[in-house]
Amino acid sequence: MNEHQPSIPAQLAAHRTADLMRQVILAAAPAALISTWYFGYGVVLNLLVAICFAYALEASALYVRRRPIQHHLADSSVLVTAMLFALSVPPGIPWWMIALGTGFAVLLAKQVFGGLGQNPFNPAMAGYLFLLLAFPLEMTAWHVSEAVIDPDSGHSVLGLASFCGQLELLFPGLIFSSFDIDGLVMATPLIESKLASKSALMSAWSEGRSLLARGSETGWEWINVAYLLGGLYLIIKRIITWHIPMSILTTVLGWSLFFYSPEQSAIVGTPYLHLFGSATMIGAFFIATDPVSAPTSNPARVVYGIIIGSCIYGVRVWGSYLDAIAIAVIFGNFLAPLLDHMLRPRIFGQISHSRAAPAPLGQASTENTAHE
Amino acid sequence: MLSQAVRWLTEGRLASFSGGIRPPKQTQRTLRSRVMATPIPERLIMPLTIYRKQERLTPAVRIGEAVRKYQCLATHLQDPDLILHAPTSGMITAITRDVLEIQSDGLDQALILCGNTTEKITQADILQSIGRAGIVGQGGAGYPTVKKIRLAASAGVKVLIVNAAECEPFVCCDEALIREFADQVVKGAEYLMQASAADAGVIAIESDKHEAIAAIQEPLKASSLTLRLLAAKYPAGDERILIKSLTGQEIPDSANPAERGILVQNAGTAKAVFDAVKLGQPSISRIVTVAGAPLKTPKNFSALLGTPVSDLLSWCGFEHEGHSEEPSAHLQHTDHLKIIVGGPLTGRRADMFCESVQQTTTCVIATDKINFPASGPEHACIRCGFCAEACPVRLLPQQLLLHSRNFDEHNLNSHGLHSCIECGACAYVCPSKIPLVQHFRQSKEILRDSAAERSESQLRQARYRHWQTRQGRTARRQVKQAAEPERETPFSRENARSEIAEAVARVKEKKSGKRQ
Ligand code: SF4
Ligand code: SF4
Repeated sequence: MNEHQPSIPAQLAAHRTADLMRQVILAAAPAALISTWYFGYGVVLNLLVAICFAYALEASALYVRRRPIQHHLADSSVLVTAMLFALSVPPGIPWWMIALGTGFAVLLAKQVFGGLGQNPFNPAMAGYLFLLLAFPLEMTAWHVSEAVIDPDSGHSVLGLASFCGQLELLFPGLIFSSFDIDGLVMATPLIESKLASKSALMSAWSEGRSLLARGSETGWEWINVAYLLGGLYLIIKRIITWHIPMSILTTVLGWSLFFYSPEQSAIVGTPYLHLFGSATMIGAFFIATDPVSAPTSNPARVVYGIIIGSCIYGVRVWGSYLDAIAIAVIFGNFLAPLLDHMLRPRIFGQISHSRAAPAPLGQASTENTAHE
Repeated sequence: MLSQAVRWLTEGRLASFSGGIRPPKQTQRTLRSRVMATPIPERLIMPLTIYRKQERLTPAVRIGEAVRKYQCLATHLQDPDLILHAPTSGMITAITRDVLEIQSDGLDQALILCGNTTEKITQADILQSIGRAGIVGQGGAGYPTVKKIRLAASAGVKVLIVNAAECEPFVCCDEALIREFADQVVKGAEYLMQASAADAGVIAIESDKHEAIAAIQEPLKASSLTLRLLAAKYPAGDERILIKSLTGQEIPDSANPAERGILVQNAGTAKAVFDAVKLGQPSISRIVTVAGAPLKTPKNFSALLGTPVSDLLSWCGFEHEGHSEEPSAHLQHTDHLKIIVGGPLTGRRADMFCESVQQTTTCVIATDKINFPASGPEHACIRCGFCAEACPVRLLPQQLLLHSRNFDEHNLNSHGLHSCIECGACAYVCPSKIPLVQHFRQSKEILRDSAAERSESQLRQARYRHWQTRQGRTARRQVKQAAEPERETPFSRENARSEIAEAVARVKEKKSGKRQ
């Protein structure tokens, strides 16, 4: 028997886990930059704080669990979690909320279950959902620079004043109002915003306004376009498959077309708004595709996408929450193991599904004589 | 089913299968030189175990005995088809449980062969020649060819497939073989067809082996075989995958392809069959690819069986410590240098001094750091599903891994662990560098052991129950005899019948009573 023991298939895979994670980060980076451009420094500050906390918490959890810290941190998965979390939370929430959220994500949603690969739920979304339930008000308010809402206010989104304003919001009491933070206002994103009635991108286009001007209300759309392109990049690079994003987008589009009526668009939203006016793209391409918590076979992935897409639409239109990505993804996570179990591919050479009585191995292998 | 299979075969499409991987071929450098016959090595190591070490041969010679080329060295006690011949003349220097060593004298004195020169060669002739030559399948496990043919012929074989698809990187012995011995391969394949009484014959080559394809066109014209091109994917050359690609039939792991009317033989086997039938030559050599970056001139050898791997390597311009002037200079170099026997995906690490060429040896690879990085630390499975995409038999390796780690027997079975062909495609693509195949092999072994144990314990239980009933019967009879000794009647059929009838009547009574 010893003859077959030491065989080691050469592992020359094009991808390493850490590379995969880095590619995901790379693909999301343009969208993060555009968010910063439109919404100010809050986005970057959130990212920094979340990454620092996530790394520190992961390292301490690994220390407590007596795992090789460097080896596990090197897979960069915690960086992706922190990034997705930070990009989902609104700018302008205090640091301790970010710490709580990342703590929930890294410690409770991931490490408690045994670390990378073992977590049944998407950690970033678990953290987000936790914050959303605990602080519903703060989590749906977007503190952005006044310049975003009113271009004539005289404040610059990327100016020093708004930077200090964001810093003040992040670390309350850090800078004792020596700076003027009046330049920051609160705006709720998505459906309540002016986007609701009419596509801002289209109207800006037809009115001849500069699409990249901050006041043109096109921020969300550009961000979504960036996520879409980033996602397509990941698909082309074969890091994710098309199944989950496409089925989510098609489902959302399908439902919004089905329920669309011009008089009601303020309530149910337009298809365009559903796809480009909110977090749909990051959800479809970056969050729902998290391989650990998603199903692994392609048919199961399609069903998973349909469930998430329907859930997104349903919660948005008939639920009380404005954006439903986190709820939908966590809901999908609940069903992922079941989908994986039920929608298995037919095994080579077996007539029906593998659930039909498995051949006892010992018997099978003795009959299996002729291997040429 | 079969007509469908035949239609698939005759359509000239590129045959393919789902899943699989496309590793870089890396055969160019090796194929630059033609197949070279090796010099006669000083020492030949002939293994006495064959077919995955399941069968053991008994030596027919003694230590110190002089042998001549083609002389019979060892046979199987029960099975005359398993036989080993001397590849060259020399003296037997050692016989252990597993190997037999020959010190060659360099003279290559041969016994006189009698080939078959008659016009009409019958099926029985061919089978006899193959059996006498001791040919075993050159592609995989080394199952005796003549047995495989007999099995297939008795099941009514329809199609013979000659497998010339070597899909692993570095391996190119079949490509070189067909490039240079195409007519012999085709002739051998025809003999195989005749021997197995197959209706159709197909030679399957991967579509990127242009030289081999070009070389085989001519001999094919005069034969009844057809050429089918395969998509250049790994593992196109696996028996079941090959059948699936060519005929669309999926043969489960519990069935033998021969039962479905399909016989697969390796191209190298076909050549050996030609030699055996036409020249009467026993199987004493085969074509071996010797490749790898550390070699100056990698090439394909027509190597005598028993040639030590270290000799092959040094003929290719590779110097190991033993032959080097300054051993220390090479020690560092050889630190990470490993020898792989077989392809990089299904082969195994081997010691170059103990290992020798056998009929199943396709390739010897000297590894380098770039193509064979040290298996780094394994990361957690991120369930990316790359492995499932690569799996040619549509398993879910990530689930199998999970169940292997937990050793969940039920789920391992229901996820089809027994269907895993151990091709290594999943491990190849895994970004977390998880040695999936090792896990699967281990689990398979444990499952097999536990199945064996279970059947044994079932047997024991059955025996015990049997013993108990017998005890009971004897006891009852003794009691009976003690009570009424005068009614002792010898056992007879009539008695037994009436007793049984009485018993049945009693049971019936009881039953009807119960119902009321
Ligand atoms: S390829 Fe490796 S990491 Fe990806 S799912 Fe399969 S076993 Fe897990
Ligand atoms: S080794 Fe087994 S599980 Fe892995 S790809 Fe090959 S057949 Fe599939």
